[in-house]
Amino acid sequence: MVNYWKNFWLKNGTGISIYLIGSCVLWIVLMILLPQLFMLDFSFRHNLPPADIGTAKDVYTIEHYKFLLFGSEQSSAGYNEIDVGVFFRTLLAAFFVTLFDLILCYPIAYYLAQVSTGGWARLMVLALIIPYWVNEILRAFAFRIMFGTTGVINDFLMWIGITQQPLDLIRDNIALYAGLGYAFILLMIFPIFNAIESLSKNQIEAARDLGAPWWRIHWRVVIPFAKPGISSGCTMVFMLTAGALAAPQILGGPSSLWFTQIVYQWFNTGSNWPRGSAYAIVLLLSTIVIVLLMMKVFKVRLGEMTK
Amino acid sequence: MSSETLSRYSTRLFVFLFFAYLFGPLIIMSVSAFNSASFPRVSPWECFTVEWFDVLLNDSRLMSGLQNSIVIGLGVVCLSIPLGLAGALMLTQVSDRYRPWYYTIIISPILIPGVVLGISTLIFWDRMGAMFNAGYQSVFYDGIILTIIGQSTFVSAYAMLIFISRLERFDSAQEEAALDLGASHVQTFRKVLLPFLKPAVGSAAVLAFLASFENYNTTVFTIVSESTLTTVLASKVRYGINPSISALAVIIICLTLVGAVYFEILKRRELKYEKDAKHIAAHNTSDRAQRASLVANPAMIITTLVFLAGFGTIYMAGTQGVGECKADFKEQKRLQRDKKLEARKLIVEQQRKAREESSAETNTRNAPNNSKTNEAQKNSFGGMFTPGNLGSTVDSNEPEKEKPSKSQPIDSGSNGLFSPQNLPKPAN
Repeated sequence: MVNYWKNFWLKNGTGISIYLIGSCVLWIVLMILLPQLFMLDFSFRHNLPPADIGTAKDVYTIEHYKFLLFGSEQSSAGYNEIDVGVFFRTLLAAFFVTLFDLILCYPIAYYLAQVSTGGWARLMVLALIIPYWVNEILRAFAFRIMFGTTGVINDFLMWIGITQQPLDLIRDNIALYAGLGYAFILLMIFPIFNAIESLSKNQIEAARDLGAPWWRIHWRVVIPFAKPGISSGCTMVFMLTAGALAAPQILGGPSSLWFTQIVYQWFNTGSNWPRGSAYAIVLLLSTIVIVLLMMKVFKVRLGEMTK
Repeated sequence: MSSETLSRYSTRLFVFLFFAYLFGPLIIMSVSAFNSASFPRVSPWECFTVEWFDVLLNDSRLMSGLQNSIVIGLGVVCLSIPLGLAGALMLTQVSDRYRPWYYTIIISPILIPGVVLGISTLIFWDRMGAMFNAGYQSVFYDGIILTIIGQSTFVSAYAMLIFISRLERFDSAQEEAALDLGASHVQTFRKVLLPFLKPAVGSAAVLAFLASFENYNTTVFTIVSESTLTTVLASKVRYGINPSISALAVIIICLTLVGAVYFEILKRRELKYEKDAKHIAAHNTSDRAQRASLVANPAMIITTLVFLAGFGTIYMAGTQGVGECKADFKEQKRLQRDKKLEARKLIVEQQRKAREESSAETNTRNAPNNSKTNEAQKNSFGGMFTPGNLGSTVDSNEPEKEKPSKSQPIDSGSNGLFSPQNLPKPAN
């Protein structure tokens, strides 16, 4: 170990070594690791006024985790139906949003990477980037306009005669799911596009020449090849959807909540930071577990995924 | 043969639908910026106007948020580029045994939810501030500095990914050659490595600024009492929407379009330049020529002119005759409303008669009555200010959310305000 650092120092020179080590310590220790550990520590403490922090009252407790699971002690329910329900509903909705994006994006990515050619294809790839640089809030706002009771969607539905009354698409969360699916669609399409683009056309033609039907070509040739891209896209979309805050705040119906919104409430209107931290820890742990699970299921490594 | 054409057309239809999903919302939002209706919508179309751009520019909260956003964006660029570069360079030097661990740690900020990053940054610096007994005016509680730190945590990881992919093509023999020829380490770094990484530094800086500029999840926690463009926007959208937000979207979309066109031209030039560079030995002259021709590119000039002419036309059309058009529209609406009222009175009258005649149950009356109220609401401000609104049960979402939140502080105007979630708040 000492040898390693000696070599490191010799190889980079004093100035550069100090820069490299200083930056990495600042980033990894002060910005990534310690804040997470402090949050973990904070989540096990009582919600005390600032003056009491660090005094004898400041002891460890698991009340916030207990609250997430079982609700307040006065409540008669066996467990905290609202928070636990919201937690699982968030994960389930994020799963379906991811699935929707995958089904939508895989054919498009394949089309852009393998079927279309020339300037037209370049233009389409460039066009894909544009919605991504429009602010997340503004994208949600666009859906709010479209899905409102006097919005375009309702006008269209009434025009073709599906419904007589305007539907409340926001209360029914349809706007939310459409907006969430829209928000992170490009993080699904680009990894898959990059993966499929590097697949040689010859492989597909060979499979076709050997008589494989189109679905088998996809199942046995294209999808296995694009697996790192697919898993990377799915992971990113799932994580971002489950951790989304802007879209649920703007598009969510008044009666439904996203888990991040509960965290936000504990921090802002609820002023119970330790409880908010506990909820954030639960969100963090569950997303880590899900990423690990994804890696296991798809049999890919982290390095392949973040390309 | 026919099945082939069918599949080709269905593919095209799918692609078309996909792009419609991608651009439809943006187009509708942009168009609604030019409608004089006070609720952003496309139909019914009232008058073509650019007044919402004036409203936008005179919005002091939004403008101060924009200033903060730019300051934070520049701060994030200054912090995350050096950190990302150091992270990428360290990755090439970490011993094989620890590389996976190291990589997992520095890549994790990308996968950690932004909310969690914001909260952990906030708590960490709050604790540090308490540890050093710093006052609430010190850096530990400064929203802008906290936001720069919080955003840099994951933006550095983005920058690092860009640097890693560029470094993969770097030939370290160049560095060794420079060192052998007597250059110091710092000189080698500045004169060999940095020039090679220059394009990556450029694109990482642009990416870092944009990522910071549009971030919400982390910012909303770390910003404390300050505000950025996104947090102001979010509270505006929840508090009560008007088309000036659409106007902002139009500006951002236009800037993005210009940026995308410029980027594409630059990329094509670069491709051509790389091809040419194989033949031309004198890099410097061709580089200068390339730069000059980019500015003087006829396509670029024409595009700019078209843009300017378009803006001019839109501005002229949007400022002239708006007043008369609006007055006309108001008059029309009044007439329509009067007609509706008449019709409603008639219906109510008829119903009363019918009720008096037959002693049927009153329940059946309510349904049609309500639907008429809704009809009337639709024509005036999305039903926001119609008095009949208060009583009706079948109601649109907007008014319900906006009315109460107007009397609330902005932050608490969240959707969850009405959820049962809020009730057991002070449990301990």
